[in-house]
Amino acid sequence: MDTAVPNPAVVVSGVRKVFNRGATNQVDALIDIDFTVQRGEFVSLIGPSGCGKSTLLRLIADLIEPTDGTLVVNGKPAHQARLDQDYGIASQHSGLFDWRTVERNIELPLELKGWDKSRRRARSAEMLALVKLSEFATHMPWQLSGGMQQRVAIARALAAHAELLLMDEPFGALDEMTREHMQAELLRICSETGTTVVFVTHSIPEAVYLADRVVVMSPRPGRITAMVDVGLGRDRSELTREATEFFDRVTEVREALRGTHVGDPIMGVDDR
Amino acid sequence: MSARVRKLVMFPVAFAFVAAAWEGYKAIGPANGGRLLGMRLLPRTNSRTMPHVWEMVSRLGRPEVRGGKQTILSVVTAATWYSFRVAFTAFVIGAVLGVAVAVLMARFRLVERGLMPYLIMSQTVPIIVLGPLIIGLMAYGSRDLVSKTWIAATLLGVFLAFFPVAVATLRGLQSTPPASMELMDSLASPWWRTLSKLRFPAAVPFIAPSLRIAGASAVVGVVVAEISLGIRAGVGRLILSYGQEATSDPPKLYTAVFGAAALGLVMALVVAVIDRQMMRRHPPEGV
Ligand SMILES: Nc1ncnc2c1ncn2[C@@H]1O[C@H](COP(=O)(O)OP(=O)(O)OP(=O)(O)O)[C@@H](O)[C@H]1O
Ligand SMILES: [Mg+2]
Repeated sequence: MDTAVPNPAVVVSGVRKVFNRGATNQVDALIDIDFTVQRGEFVSLIGPSGCGKSTLLRLIADLIEPTDGTLVVNGKPAHQARLDQDYGIASQHSGLFDWRTVERNIELPLELKGWDKSRRRARSAEMLALVKLSEFATHMPWQLSGGMQQRVAIARALAAHAELLLMDEPFGALDEMTREHMQAELLRICSETGTTVVFVTHSIPEAVYLADRVVVMSPRPGRITAMVDVGLGRDRSELTREATEFFDRVTEVREALRGTHVGDPIMGVDDR
Repeated sequence: MSARVRKLVMFPVAFAFVAAAWEGYKAIGPANGGRLLGMRLLPRTNSRTMPHVWEMVSRLGRPEVRGGKQTILSVVTAATWYSFRVAFTAFVIGAVLGVAVAVLMARFRLVERGLMPYLIMSQTVPIIVLGPLIIGLMAYGSRDLVSKTWIAATLLGVFLAFFPVAVATLRGLQSTPPASMELMDSLASPWWRTLSKLRFPAAVPFIAPSLRIAGASAVVGVVVAEISLGIRAGVGRLILSYGQEATSDPPKLYTAVFGAAALGLVMALVVAVIDRQMMRRHPPEGV
């Protein structure tokens, strides 16, 4: 469909993922996945728990290999994109290293890129200011609350200023206020830097507020059932959350999700 | 800080308790031993078997042999210091070797599969036979036995210290959280950088306690080697030879026992310091 635009950020074609193939615990996690993310686009992935959102993200990140199909990231095979460190990733679990201070956790991707120390320190300070944790630079992760740890993980994902961000429920452990602040900050960073984002979430309003496009998935086997164009423009503010168009899109996504479960309650999707 | 002071005060307090128990039993126990549940279990309390604590302590200040110049304190101290050096060398070599082998096993499945059975089997060999075996293997027919037995004692200490470290390190390297491994993969980190930045530091909470075991094992290995090989200089040999004088000079044996106890204690302290340094950046227990 939109493959006509040159060199999209992510192209997923004909992807299928089967775990433990042939074994009794075989899981058909994903089937017939085709979608494209344009450069600078913000795409939210939403769907009930276990529908394969994290799996899809890990496929794009080349952390696991597809059973069938191809993934092209930044115009090259996903594998090459990973080797080139073309993306930053924040996973569902913060995964901070206990033995490193907060700032040194944020500097980890930069160390692997071979940046020198002063440059790393400058960038981590900038990132800490962004997530409002400057006073905690030299704390150890285990001295922070769960939400603060998650903000450090987000700062780490953003640190290298990658063109593509892959985020798996990064704001899950945050309170409503911090969550809205981080959402606004993420949108600001993305529009300033033209970053492309693939964002997994459980929350319909979050998916709609952040994204240009919401990809709706259904479980077992996981497939894409709808794409909702949000069309709220790029300038979003607190007012956006109260606009009628916003509620219309939220309803649209909710109905798309319902369509996948006639009559059933939607397990694991947040209406808030 | 006060916790550390309290820990240091613990040592003399513990010593005082043991001394008090010793003297207490000596005061009330049967002089010629006694029966308990029909067996001769209760030790004799006469001064040949159980000299007073102050006799042992004062024995330290007198010469080792009648008319000799060296006090027994300096002889025991020198022997203990000698054994400590051997045991500490064995501990360091054993620990380094243990970590190195574990890294190899973590890197190559084949090495793990091939080596693990031998490792486990090696620990079933009674250590007492190993000393003479090592000597026999490396110094058969040689006259230069002193230096060779020194090496043999070290080897035995290494042999005992190596195993707990290797096993704990391997377990530590294999229990890296998968989410952290994925993060390093997403950063295209090569194997050895993942090892140095993630897997090894994540294994430290496994390795540090194994060092305590390794330290104690190195001491056991070295003392056993000294006793079974008859190394002149070590504290193990002193226990053996002073034990032979137990009838004529009962407190003498206990001065060597003090030396052996001090050896274990100093090793434990040194290893505790290493342990603390290694765990400095890790969350304290219960976090
Ligand atoms: N490594 C794996 N081995 C076997 N099965 C797996 C593995 N990873 C995921 N699965 C299975 O694939 C399916 C999709 O899992 P995935 O983690 O992608 O779901 P999700 O949509 O992210 O769920 P949630 O919203 O709860 O995080 C699940 O049924 C899960 O059991
Ligand atoms: Mg998930």
